[in-house]
Amino acid sequence: MKLRDKVLIVEDEQSISNFISTVLNANDYDTITASTGEEAMSMITSHCPDLIILDLGLPDMDGLDILRDVRSWSNLPVIVVSARTREHDKVEALDLGADDYIEKPFGTSELLARIRTAIRHTRTPLANGGIAQSGKFSVGALTVDYDKHHVLVDGADAHLTLNEFKIVALLGKYAGKVLTYDYMIREIWGPKAKADNQILRVNMANIRRKLEKNPAEPEYIFTEIGVGYRMRDTDE
Amino acid sequence: MKKGAHIPRALRDALLTAAVLAAAVVLSGVLGRFTEGDTYVGFLFVLAVAVVSRWTEGYFWGIFSSFFGLFCVNYAFTYPYWQFNFTMTGYPLTFVTLLGVALMVSTMTTQIKRQERLRLETEREAMRADLLRAMSHDIRTPLTSIVGNTAAVLEDRGALTMEQKRALLRDVNEDAQWLVRVVENILSITRIRGEGVISTEVELAEEVAGSAARKFTKRFPDSHVSVEIPDEVLLAPMDATLIQQVILNLLENAVIHGGATEMRLRVERSGDEALFSVSDNGGGIPAERLATLFDGAISDGARGADGKRNMGIGLSVCHTIVRAHGGTMTAKNQPEGGACLQFTLPLKEMEPHEAQG
Repeated sequence: MKLRDKVLIVEDEQSISNFISTVLNANDYDTITASTGEEAMSMITSHCPDLIILDLGLPDMDGLDILRDVRSWSNLPVIVVSARTREHDKVEALDLGADDYIEKPFGTSELLARIRTAIRHTRTPLANGGIAQSGKFSVGALTVDYDKHHVLVDGADAHLTLNEFKIVALLGKYAGKVLTYDYMIREIWGPKAKADNQILRVNMANIRRKLEKNPAEPEYIFTEIGVGYRMRDTDE
Repeated sequence: MKKGAHIPRALRDALLTAAVLAAAVVLSGVLGRFTEGDTYVGFLFVLAVAVVSRWTEGYFWGIFSSFFGLFCVNYAFTYPYWQFNFTMTGYPLTFVTLLGVALMVSTMTTQIKRQERLRLETEREAMRADLLRAMSHDIRTPLTSIVGNTAAVLEDRGALTMEQKRALLRDVNEDAQWLVRVVENILSITRIRGEGVISTEVELAEEVAGSAARKFTKRFPDSHVSVEIPDEVLLAPMDATLIQQVILNLLENAVIHGGATEMRLRVERSGDEALFSVSDNGGGIPAERLATLFDGAISDGARGADGKRNMGIGLSVCHTIVRAHGGTMTAKNQPEGGACLQFTLPLKEMEPHEAQG
């Protein structure tokens, strides 16, 4: 028998919870559901799910508190579902360690794709397992060489500056995952650096001009407006 | 988003008052050395009091200045110098004049401000009412279709074929997607708290354009958008989510109402503004609609080519967003066919009071 992944759906709206459950069951996942934060907390410890789909607006507590608690003891993948369109909530969820977020309303294919990505990423210790073995990250015609500290496009050196390389290297390490602006600034310029969003933006504009065929329609590094940047995943 | 420490109103007023009064004192002192007589001193202080009353908040600083002015006129700069003389001729008159000017100018300033606020509020209310009316119209049509189609499937006793049911459900799905977009537009409007009050951050124009095009292609996989950006890196203060919404609306209008299949999204610099243009190969905008395109008013003429969807909503939301950013929006038909909608965003930071969120 094939081992099915177990997904915990934390959602207080019955109709939404039903629809997610139905879709996941039809796609070879086992599902359990919780409609309150308290219920969710006890189910996480008793059922050990492989992934949590977490709605942020719960009746008894803030979904972010559940995320905070789970992250204090586990790397279990969490996908945050939010009806709030304020970027602030997404940024906070990502900074608290959510693996991904999905906005209501969403389609089934989008949801399934996110679940697959999140589960795969936790199964490989580094966000991208290949880097540890080969010292390289490749997607399309782009290769980030972590040993030689350079980035190749179609085999030719893209001549990135040191900071530009650091940015691309960081995104490559977590390919497929959205990295928030603040997180990237902290990682590249250090926690006390005075770097602001503007410096990151300008660096990114230059990177795109060096890496992308048409910087206006990027193939490798995508912008999530108001949240951060994401490197294309290897299987995307 | 933050523009550095904003000087508190009271401190600003105090500094202004001090500066104006100091200027009057210095000027009186300097003039006193070169001219005979001292009648100008009174006038100088009347002017100072008027200036202070006009540019500070409320009555306090104006009245404060008139007392200070009185002191200067009586004690320092008129004969007898450096002593009070309450028997001086015209002393009560000077005092009454200074105080009167202070009170009158302060009252006028306060009144003008109140009227201005009232006018803005009325305008905003009218805008909101217009939008609500248009939105409800936009929402009712797809809702009717959703209720009807789902009821048809639910109450079916075997008369409908599988294919017919799928067709009904497909319509439901499409209408629901339409509603999602209407709600997104409503949400955008709630992010604008009044005229020009948005929280902006310096963003790359090309990123917002690129991301909007990507998002759009996901929703409408059959249409093609080409994006053109300048070599120059264009940074402009904006609420990126709102500007993305503007671009999405423009692209969507081109497809839904213009029947376009190819769109061109172009970003360039135009003076000290970033210019965004969306042009398409669709049917263009009917000439009689061009004049009232951004009003969001519903009339029979305001309906789109499909007869049920109001094309004014998306555009009036766009217009509101662009105006709140201090930009302008224009629409025209291209000589070679298709519509071209353009909007601008100032590249420079807006005045702090406008950009404060």
